[in-house]
Amino acid sequence: MSDPSGVIAARLAELWRQTLPITLERVAALQAACEALGRNPADPRARSAGREAAHKLSGSLGIFGLPRGTELAAKLEEILKSTDPLSRQATMAMGGLIEDLEAVIASKQM
Amino acid sequence: MPHRVLIIDDEEDIREVAALSLETVAGWEVLLANSGAAGIAKANEQLPDAILLDVMMPGMDGPTTFQELRAHPKTARIPVILLTAKVQAADQKRFSDLGVSAVMFKPFDPLTLARDIARVLGWKDK
Repeated sequence: MSDPSGVIAARLAELWRQTLPITLERVAALQAACEALGRNPADPRARSAGREAAHKLSGSLGIFGLPRGTELAAKLEEILKSTDPLSRQATMAMGGLIEDLEAVIASKQM
Repeated sequence: MPHRVLIIDDEEDIREVAALSLETVAGWEVLLANSGAAGIAKANEQLPDAILLDVMMPGMDGPTTFQELRAHPKTARIPVILLTAKVQAADQKRFSDLGVSAVMFKPFDPLTLARDIARVLGWKDK
């Protein structure tokens, strides 16, 4: 029987490519949420959509060998958990975390 | 006979990786459902040995799905493991208090997922 770790690594690489559009959609949803919260810091719909995208990224990126991606997404989810209007500082922090997240994902695409 | 595990998760990538892990590493049979409602239907039809249940799903979420499973005599005794991205301690306690067999976290290691499930369920073969 084949080595399970080799089989899993090969299939994970294939699944990463296959589900990359979903991952990128989630990052785009975070970016859209960040922009919407920049315009309206109390926008509950933007916060909820961003939080859901961050939660899903946090759960999936580490499985594909991107623990840093999980860590960044978890920080974004934490920022979006509060029900208070998002401060300008928090919105800026979100923007930085999203940029870092994009860089982590791009590093695996190369 | 290999164990049969039902994975209920709306995220395709998570379903696929978890299935790959349980089939390849442990040789278990895996059933898949992409929503709480589909999972309840499949659990009733197939009576799996255990259910791996995502917490955050659109429509019926994991805790609600779990309560529905417990409310039906056919599925009430199937062990359920909640699977969630890391949560705060208060949420973890809330999930544990539901009466699930365990709460496990994403991201999981595909090489050890089956072993971790077997351990929390007291299965001895993996």
